[in-house]
Amino acid sequence: MDSWVIALMLGASIFLGGLALIAFLWGIRSGQFDDEQKFLNQARLDGDEDLQDAVEQEQKKNKLKKKSYKPE
Amino acid sequence: MTELSKTARAGCLNVSKVACDHCHLEFDETVMIEDGAQRFCCKGCQGVYHLLQDDGLGSFYEKLGDAKLAPPTQQFESSENFDTPAFFERFVTLGDEGFCEVSLIIEGIHCAACVWLNEKALHRLEGVIEADINFTTNKARIVWSDESVKLSRIIDTIRAIGYDAFPYDPSLQEQHANRERKDYYLRMAVAGFSLMNMMSISFAQYHGYFSGIDGDIVTILNVGEWVLATPVLLYSGWVFFRGAYYGLRNQVVNMDLLVATGAVTTYFYSIYITVFKLGEAYFDSVTMIIAFVLFGKFLEVLSRKSAADTLDIITKYVPSEVMVVEGDQMRSIKVSEVRVGDVVALRVGEKAALDGEVLEGEGSMDESSLTGESNPIYKKAGDTIISGSVSIDAALHYRVSRDFAHSTLSHLMSLLENAMRHKPRIEEMANRISERFSSTILALALLTFAAWYFWPHDFDTALMVGVSVIIIACPCALALATPVATLVGLGLGAKRGILFKAAAQLETLSLIDVVVFDKTGSLTHGRPEVVAQWMADEIHAQWIYALVSRSKHPISNGVARALASYDAHLRLEGFAEIAARGVRAQAGEHRLIGGNALWMAEHGISVEPLERSAFYVARDGEMVARFELEDRLKEDAVAAVAYFHRAGIDVQMLTGDHEASARRIAQNVGIKHFAYEQKPSDKEAVIAALQGEGKKVMMVGDGINDILALSRADIGISMGQGSDIAIEVSDVVLLHDSLTSLIEAHQIAKTTYRLIRQNLGLSLVYNAITIPLAMAGYIIPLVAAASMSLSSILVVLNSMRIRYSWRV
Repeated sequence: MDSWVIALMLGASIFLGGLALIAFLWGIRSGQFDDEQKFLNQARLDGDEDLQDAVEQEQKKNKLKKKSYKPE
Repeated sequence: MTELSKTARAGCLNVSKVACDHCHLEFDETVMIEDGAQRFCCKGCQGVYHLLQDDGLGSFYEKLGDAKLAPPTQQFESSENFDTPAFFERFVTLGDEGFCEVSLIIEGIHCAACVWLNEKALHRLEGVIEADINFTTNKARIVWSDESVKLSRIIDTIRAIGYDAFPYDPSLQEQHANRERKDYYLRMAVAGFSLMNMMSISFAQYHGYFSGIDGDIVTILNVGEWVLATPVLLYSGWVFFRGAYYGLRNQVVNMDLLVATGAVTTYFYSIYITVFKLGEAYFDSVTMIIAFVLFGKFLEVLSRKSAADTLDIITKYVPSEVMVVEGDQMRSIKVSEVRVGDVVALRVGEKAALDGEVLEGEGSMDESSLTGESNPIYKKAGDTIISGSVSIDAALHYRVSRDFAHSTLSHLMSLLENAMRHKPRIEEMANRISERFSSTILALALLTFAAWYFWPHDFDTALMVGVSVIIIACPCALALATPVATLVGLGLGAKRGILFKAAAQLETLSLIDVVVFDKTGSLTHGRPEVVAQWMADEIHAQWIYALVSRSKHPISNGVARALASYDAHLRLEGFAEIAARGVRAQAGEHRLIGGNALWMAEHGISVEPLERSAFYVARDGEMVARFELEDRLKEDAVAAVAYFHRAGIDVQMLTGDHEASARRIAQNVGIKHFAYEQKPSDKEAVIAALQGEGKKVMMVGDGINDILALSRADIGISMGQGSDIAIEVSDVVLLHDSLTSLIEAHQIAKTTYRLIRQNLGLSLVYNAITIPLAMAGYIIPLVAAASMSLSSILVVLNSMRIRYSWRV
């Protein structure tokens, strides 16, 4: 077996593992693991309604952001 | 049989209990409010239920399941002060986008459904942008646009659905600690990821080393390891470079320097091997060193007490605003702006922020935490108010006699700063050893390199042997020795309600020579307990319980504790608390009064005077019960004192109380040395004098009057029920308030210290064997990696033994 196959496999796996690591680091930084109990409960209480709520919340924030924007 | 006792008997027989449709608590059918198909235990529950149904939040009850809630309380202060500029300045921060942010503690959260309900209700408010409630800590972060909605409206919404919210200062300390912890998580995640992947690559390398492998493949594997090791060295290892730099600036050779030098030289040496194809590189050792030592450091961070910020303590402890009376008007101003001569209003339950003299009003004040006096003190016009004392039932106006900067409390705080500065710091054994260890190893490595180079060998070989000394000696085991042992000790303590604020305190605690106890609250319960009681008829016990459990007075609380088994959720009408006298209420057709002799006399009931504090209960002008109360010794106090005597530790007692009660308690527990009428600064002086004799002193206290002594002592131990500030300045907190915990704390500390010494011994013995091998040039990458893990595992396993000896 040519050694370039080993090199390719090693490179690919480190790259993919690296992506997963970056995703994990992002998760820690953005506080997704700060409340371990809620983290579990959110999976239990999840539903369309909550998704809708999250979207509305986002829209409300954007609306308020626009309103408070004052041109020079 | 009277109406009153009929109902009471019904309660005893447990007939027809019904669950409230909001809070799910069970009550007698007779007291329930019927409302269509629903039944509620109180108006509060009824209100919340309808509010939720009207707002379409009824699915809360499905999410709640069978869980029980506390019925909503209805006595709230006005939420208007949440909108005052002073409140904003203290608690609200402005975000980059112009939104306001506040941290609140939500009271009454029991389950996931409560979190859901609060978030949902807040999200529905216009102007609320984020409402994020942490279920574990009950802390909420709320971001809102102040133009659209006021904070008072947000608070009212939370209260309307049956919860309450308090602002809290996410103090710099806490934020800082959280940020540091998160930073370590990130660094450890990187190190852990690389380490695990590198193991699999190294496995191929080692296998190849014995069974033959292509030179090309070795290089490919080396490069793979190189890629993985680089972020570990540069990102995870950053803490060691930083530590080494600060150490060098202070002219100290610390462990960080050894780790940094070891990792960097090994890293560059491995690059050299990889580039010139000289065989297997040592990248795995680089990663392993950093990962293991980082883990040890992380354990330390987890258990470290952040340096106490005195200013922060003051702001937490003292009310930031007071109500100043100006003619008929009341105005809320900052404590620092109050001038001598101003008249300040003190409400029931509030803490006095300033010293002064009572002008009008009367009631009992709790000064126990300031003076050690265990009984509430009755204050009337002309009496003095001490800053820091708490009103039990007193609503009064007082004239300020000293401004805030010169108040008793501020004075105590400035003394506190001084006491903290003088706290002796016993250097940890591991630090002492590691400093010498680091310099020895670095010197040995240089020596080895020089010896090999001049004892004719080529540069390559000399460098390799020199580096291998550093790699093999890299103090993984040494770095883990203390943190792992202390973490096990801290864990054992936490399970028993003993909170060590810093790992180093375990070591100090195991070495103490003198224990100094405070009396009130430490050796005694610090609150009146029933020592004798008489009841005309047991039937009344439920009604008496209902009467006293509504009151906040310590005497009533004492009686309530004694009668706790009679709790039947009975409801009284027209309850009223009369300052410095007692309580009264209507039970059906009967009139119940409870209180002191004065209160009885005013109702025309004569009672014989008693030596101890007494609480009388009368029904329709006829006495039905009498309770005698006094501050009792804790049940385990005698055993604790005996334990320390047996361990050869001197036991002393200091109290602010007067001689008679000090002598009585000292004799009862068997303490020979005691001092009474001690002011806070006197207590500190006693501790300092003991330390002057070269003794290591442990102080056990709970009040504000102990804070100077607590912070001055080598180890300050406070009770979980003690004042916030005493908990803040002490090193160990006994959450269960019991002195058995104190004995356990001492035992755990001793065991842990023995373990630390064993671990350090183990890692030093290991080094004594391997370093000569390395100096002789026998170390290959495989041996370096294997021995590193082996020694670390030994240390961890040894530390785990403690759990078995404590049968956890």
